[in-house]
Amino acid sequence: MKRAAVFCGPALVLLAALVVYPIGYTIVRSLFGGDGESFVGLANYQEIFTSPETLTALRNNAVWVVLAPSLVTIAGLFFAVLTDRIRWASAVKVVIFLPMAISFLAAGVTWRMVYEADPDRGIANAAIVTVHDAFADRPPYPGARLRSTEDTAGRFAVVGVPAPADGVQATEGGSGVVWLDFAPGGGGRPGVIDPGEKGLPGVRVEAVRDGKVVAETTTGPDGRYTLPAGDHTIRLPDSNFAQPFNGVDWLGPSVVTPAIIGAYVWIWAGFAMVLISAGLAGIPRETLEAARIDGASEWQVLRRVTIPQLRPVLVVVWVTMVINVLKVFDLVLVLAPEAVQADANVVALQMWRVSFGGARDLGLGSALGVLLFLLVLPAMLFNLRRLRREG
Amino acid sequence: MATVSYKGATRRYPGTTRNAVDKLDLEIGDGEFLVLVGPSGCGKSTSLRMLAGLEDVDEGAILIEGKDVTNLPPKDRDIAMVFQNYALYPHMTVYENMAFALKLRKTSKDEIDRRVKEAAKLLQLEEYLSRKPKALSGGQRQRVAMGRAIVREPQVFLMDEPLSNLDAKLRVQTRSQIASLQKNLGITTVYVTHDQVEAMTMGHRVAVMLDGVLQQVDTPRNLYDSPANVFVAGFIGSPAMNIKTVTLGADGARFGSMLMPLTREQVTAAGDGKVTVGFRPEDTDLVAPSEGGLPIVVDLVEELGSDAYVYGHADVNGEQERFTVRTDGRSAPSLGDTVYVKPRGAHHHVFHAETGVRIA
Repeated sequence: MKRAAVFCGPALVLLAALVVYPIGYTIVRSLFGGDGESFVGLANYQEIFTSPETLTALRNNAVWVVLAPSLVTIAGLFFAVLTDRIRWASAVKVVIFLPMAISFLAAGVTWRMVYEADPDRGIANAAIVTVHDAFADRPPYPGARLRSTEDTAGRFAVVGVPAPADGVQATEGGSGVVWLDFAPGGGGRPGVIDPGEKGLPGVRVEAVRDGKVVAETTTGPDGRYTLPAGDHTIRLPDSNFAQPFNGVDWLGPSVVTPAIIGAYVWIWAGFAMVLISAGLAGIPRETLEAARIDGASEWQVLRRVTIPQLRPVLVVVWVTMVINVLKVFDLVLVLAPEAVQADANVVALQMWRVSFGGARDLGLGSALGVLLFLLVLPAMLFNLRRLRREG
Repeated sequence: MATVSYKGATRRYPGTTRNAVDKLDLEIGDGEFLVLVGPSGCGKSTSLRMLAGLEDVDEGAILIEGKDVTNLPPKDRDIAMVFQNYALYPHMTVYENMAFALKLRKTSKDEIDRRVKEAAKLLQLEEYLSRKPKALSGGQRQRVAMGRAIVREPQVFLMDEPLSNLDAKLRVQTRSQIASLQKNLGITTVYVTHDQVEAMTMGHRVAVMLDGVLQQVDTPRNLYDSPANVFVAGFIGSPAMNIKTVTLGADGARFGSMLMPLTREQVTAAGDGKVTVGFRPEDTDLVAPSEGGLPIVVDLVEELGSDAYVYGHADVNGEQERFTVRTDGRSAPSLGDTVYVKPRGAHHHVFHAETGVRIA
């Protein structure tokens, strides 16, 4: 008995100093105000559930818990199953696992560049815009406008400032020209095709009668176009001068949380993959072969034989991720620009913000810490019980 | 119920020089129980897995009921397979294990229930239907694996060493159960084993393989009585046949002082100087020294009760050769004794000394 105390002693002292005491002190501190002198009872907790800022943080945390662990588990399962079937599995696994070797801070900085709104700088928008423009034509002259909608000769003078373009009456024939009414070096007259002024190729021109498009064409290399003559109006549709699609404002207030979750999945998918791969290796191959012979398609084999046998591993990964996600802090701090930090807020970040970010309300911060502790507790207990059952 | 044909079926694993299965030609009749047997690595399991669709066929074709299935996935071949480790789905109950294939085919609930219950009754699994596989004994798991195959009512049963995870006694018992079950169901069965006793007792016909090459296909009786080559002769029968390559005389093979008479045709076919002769341990008699047997010094005696196996060595043309002889258990010789062994009648087998092919 005495010897047991001697052996356990140092560990118990350390645990008490580093775990039990801080928890106890945080709980006590959460009952006091920002100055640490005035006892406020549960007022700090009341504030958590009333102040819009912390409510946003709680809501975001809920989004995190719903999305991130499941996405990480699904991505890990996906990679594990695929790498299980290819030749260079180890090399691929290393690449997918590599993000784990990067600090969250560095990953956050990297992803901030990825999510850069300008498609010329952020790869996410560059990809989306490229795909978008493959299916829809990019407006040929974004931001340009017509100098005048009144042109009897079917000639359209275009200048560089946006404005609505309604249309023009085609009087003679159906041909005309669209040109840039600007002479380099100056000296050009408005509405007149001066020497040195260039025709604009690739502009859409429509012939409209009674609000319906009856004919359309695009201007040639010199800006000329030809449409059939008749009783219709010739116009340049707005789509010529519309602003191009520039992708998604990833770090804007509306999608910042899903965007950060995307970065989080990128970091943790490799970890999930490694655990699930290990689980996959433990499944007897013959059960999969038996299922194939029993008439299962590959999808049915995965869903009805592989995944059920992987269940214990998937649960471990998912619960571990839940614990991890509740505590998420650094990635949000680094990724969310200052302006949208309030929209991307999570409990751990809010705790830090109220405690050390100007207000220095350690009482409210402690209350948030206690709340976080209570949220993580069930998941921890679940994992502990599993461990005990397996041990 | 169906016929199965292998037509020059070949399997070559990437990165190997030798074919795992080399131009296998085999016709299996409707309702037949065919056993593939051979030492480990001979390609018997690979042949079965090619038929199952779990292994690619690099050359040749495989037909089931005349239909080319060479490039069909397993699920389109209408076959059922029993694996060595049973491969039961651990997360499903016995009932669900057996119902799985039928569920995938969208069989009606009543029909599934009827067929699973029927198979369970046949295999005495009725009281275990709601258990998970891990709560079953090895023998019960084996029966569930059988049941899973039976409920399918497939065209062909494939069995890959289904008994090798059972203990010896249960194996003998299950062996006869599988054989009679197959007889009652009448479903064409291909059965893989490395155990020649299993092969001999269960198969209508037995195909012996070595190094990916089919050596001989015949009834158990014929395999035993007239093995096609030295390998089959040595593989079939337990204990193994005594096979020695000895000097060829004008009227027979010379085992030291003993002459084993051969016919004139055999001597001619054997060719120059040497001949391989085999006789089974059970086709011998112990005789008195004066009767011209081969003198063998006893090294070991295995008493089996009814019989005794005598292992010994003899000096044959200057070489120490080992021999095995079966005798009556009650009159077994002792260690160190010299016994005189005489092969019985015309039960010896003659092979070409170089090619190993049987000389009739």
